Amino acid sequence: MPSATVNNHRPSELLSRLASSEPEVKLRALREVKNQIIGNRTKKLSFLKLGAVPAVAGILADSADDVIDCNNNNCNVNNNINNILVQSAAALGSFACGFDAGVQAVLDAGAFPNLLRLLSNSNEKVVDAGARALRMIYQSKLAPKYDFLQQKNMEFLISLLNSENENVSGLGASIITNSCETSLEQKALFDAGILRRLNSLLECGSLSQKDASLESLASIFKNNSEVVSKFAGPEIERPLGSIIDLLKDRYPRTRLLACMCLIVIRSTSPNLLQDIGIKSKLIHILIELLDDPGQVGDEAPFAFSSLIAQKEDLQKLALEANAIDKLHHHLQKGSLHPRRYEGILLALADMCSKLESCRSKFLSLQVLNLVTDALTVDSADVRTAACICLKSVTRSIKNLSAGYFINEMVVVPLVQLFLDPSTSVQVAALGAISNVVVDFTTHKCIFVQCGGMKQLVQLATSMESAVRSNALWALKNFVFLADNRLKESVFSELTASLLSSLICDPEPSVQEQALALVRNLVDGCINSVEFMFAEDGLILGAIGRQLQSTVKAEIGIQGMYALCNVASGNEFHKEAVMHQLFPQMVDKNQSFMINFLQSNDSQLRTATVWTIVNLTCRSSPGAFGRLVKLRNAGIVSQIKNMVNDPCVDVKVIKFMFWSFFFIFFFTFLINLISIFVEQLRVRTVLGQSMAFGDN
Amino acid sequence: MPPFWIVIRQLVEIEEQMATSKKVITREEWEKRLNDVKIRKEDMNKLVMNFLVTEGYVEAAEKFRMESGTEPDIDLATITDRMAVKKAVQCGNVEDAIEKVNDLNPEILDTNPQLFFHLQQQRLIELIRNGKVEEALEFAQEELAPRGEENQSFLEELERTVALLAFEDVSNCPVGELMDISQRLKTASEVNAAILTSQSHEKDPKLPSLLKMLIWAQNQLDEKATYPRINDLSNATLEDPTV
Repeated sequence: MPSATVNNHRPSELLSRLASSEPEVKLRALREVKNQIIGNRTKKLSFLKLGAVPAVAGILADSADDVIDCNNNNCNVNNNINNILVQSAAALGSFACGFDAGVQAVLDAGAFPNLLRLLSNSNEKVVDAGARALRMIYQSKLAPKYDFLQQKNMEFLISLLNSENENVSGLGASIITNSCETSLEQKALFDAGILRRLNSLLECGSLSQKDASLESLASIFKNNSEVVSKFAGPEIERPLGSIIDLLKDRYPRTRLLACMCLIVIRSTSPNLLQDIGIKSKLIHILIELLDDPGQVGDEAPFAFSSLIAQKEDLQKLALEANAIDKLHHHLQKGSLHPRRYEGILLALADMCSKLESCRSKFLSLQVLNLVTDALTVDSADVRTAACICLKSVTRSIKNLSAGYFINEMVVVPLVQLFLDPSTSVQVAALGAISNVVVDFTTHKCIFVQCGGMKQLVQLATSMESAVRSNALWALKNFVFLADNRLKESVFSELTASLLSSLICDPEPSVQEQALALVRNLVDGCINSVEFMFAEDGLILGAIGRQLQSTVKAEIGIQGMYALCNVASGNEFHKEAVMHQLFPQMVDKNQSFMINFLQSNDSQLRTATVWTIVNLTCRSSPGAFGRLVKLRNAGIVSQIKNMVNDPCVDVKVIKFMFWSFFFIFFFTFLINLISIFVEQLRVRTVLGQSMAFGDN
Repeated sequence: MPPFWIVIRQLVEIEEQMATSKKVITREEWEKRLNDVKIRKEDMNKLVMNFLVTEGYVEAAEKFRMESGTEPDIDLATITDRMAVKKAVQCGNVEDAIEKVNDLNPEILDTNPQLFFHLQQQRLIELIRNGKVEEALEFAQEELAPRGEENQSFLEELERTVALLAFEDVSNCPVGELMDISQRLKTASEVNAAILTSQSHEKDPKLPSLLKMLIWAQNQLDEKATYPRINDLSNATLEDPTV
């Protein structure tokens, strides 16, 4: 039988004791609530649902008022009140610790201003408890934003940071970490001399003060090279020395935060911390921190990712430091915490994002099997990370062409994720499949057989624009250099009406991918050009409308290349393209072609030039007429200006001029001949008539 | 060329001699050198205080403070609290220990899931030890199972602990070591370390690592010289060098 004491601990029973008028009973109940919820997420949630937070916040508010009422009256009474204040603040702090629903409840219950009042209490323990609870609140994004730009707020913040009590100064640092976002705020904090104070906390503060100031320094530095350069300026004897020293700190968390702070500085000011020594130090420390069994080890791979992302030199160094082996080793251990699992997969993704040497290492260690295992785990974040990792590894053209990835082990679980309840998983899975389906002519049937293609088409109609866009992306890659039969099956699944409506999607990224899909569909044999003329040229019309109205270069590029491919067809196709480029009811505005040719985007200029090349190809009979139209629209003279364009291939322009020349020359020749023939006929007629006359 | 070979052979012999003959340092010489090493009294005192504080000998620390005037780097009152927590775990009063930790600093258990789990696990072990089977099951279900859901390794440990209930003679079962007193000591030292860390204090006293360094340095020196070695660390007596 469960004992009576267990029943006594039941949340509902405890709550009724909180409402007791007896201070002793109330205090004991408060303490018990606190002890039950600390470290226990499930308990926090069940107390939350029962409305414990407003009850505790109410006790705090009442007692905080009482302190003022009976100031200097009765020491005993005040002692009791202080105990209640400490316990209620500790309980509220625990509700808010690492638990956003708890933070929200504490804020909703109006406890925030009362906790602030505790900071001016004369009892050190009360101040401590209040500061700790506020610190917990400020560790959440839900905390009220602190306005540094107000003078009195800045003064209060400085007083917090200067406090001897480490929870109070820690609160100051947490406020900065939480609320400092804009460069104006960063500058204001710098001007107020906050950095000096934080730096001194780094050098001689306690463990928690060091950690807190490392975090707030990172938020003051983030993306603000001006502040960084002032902080690391020449007037300081050893720039950033205090932070670099903490890389050797004995506490793993401090080492991690020091790494993170230096990574922020590195990415903010690319001229700082670039020597090889600090780079490899950061890499080694972060790899070593992976071994930490707790939260530090969970966060270390994320910091590692931010260090090496987009940076080939660091990825190379990390490869030499056996980063992939280490990450693989951790992945092999199994039963990973989801956060760590996700981080390790993302770190592997960043490692393999650029360098083929990293990808070969990844494949030679057979990490791929472990990553595909991760596609089916419970946590959506882990599944997403596994997809991102696959996307990164499958950039390896060498292994793609060898058909290394297009097998059931990779494709089937990825296709299953197309229907994942989480959008981010769907998007990531589509991203990975986009790479997997590129350029493998013999194995594409696996993807069709497992229903992947049909699902992609369905996802192209998803409510989520990111899903639509990525589904189109995958289809685009799927039909890239595919044979006509495959293209036909994709097209009949998609239909002209769906495709044209996707071209006119409200979301620009979807428009771009739809146009790119058309571009790849039409690429190649002439039969595929006919797709554009299904349902009375619905698609072609949509492309034309989109090109007329778009302001985005990316959309222009894909649209022009689509038209360019259509224009590679027969005379009828070319004329249809002309019709889109120069619609009947031309208004006074200049053709969008001129804008494209004058665009800052070299790819758009190139795409437009290629379209013109295909339209005026000298072997086609209608070229002259089209050339005249182009000249009348001012396009030929615009192209003449582009001879010195460094981005557009000069050969293309020269080729075009030769085309123009030939067309004009032959037209001239034909005219000459026709005049000559005419004259000859006249002469013959004259001669004949004369002969008749003679007769 | 014979003269050349002679020179080489001589050189090799000299090398060998140098390699085999270690330098001998006599006791007098050694003690003379030791006398030249000056260590500040305050440093020694700090080392002693550090040991007393870290190991939690609060009364001794208090006495030592009064006698030597060495200020501890931590509030001595917190040592008493810390020792009370440690002792509570060692005696099996885990619930009491948890409450004490939370009074000391509520953040410790809120931000250290592993320690919190181990304390709860210890609570379960104590319930099983006291034969409160029903209560133990209810506790495992309500308090520990949710932690197992959050963390796979916790789940494995929980399964091992609950397995205790399946055996008649718990001390002789495959997971019997959980019932051992050493499990309590393990948990107690984990709590002790967490409290020390929260107070920005090292988890271990400096003195043992100093002794470790002494042994390491002697081992290094053994390869190069013969000298009066310290083998008996507790009395620090110098042995006569064996030639």
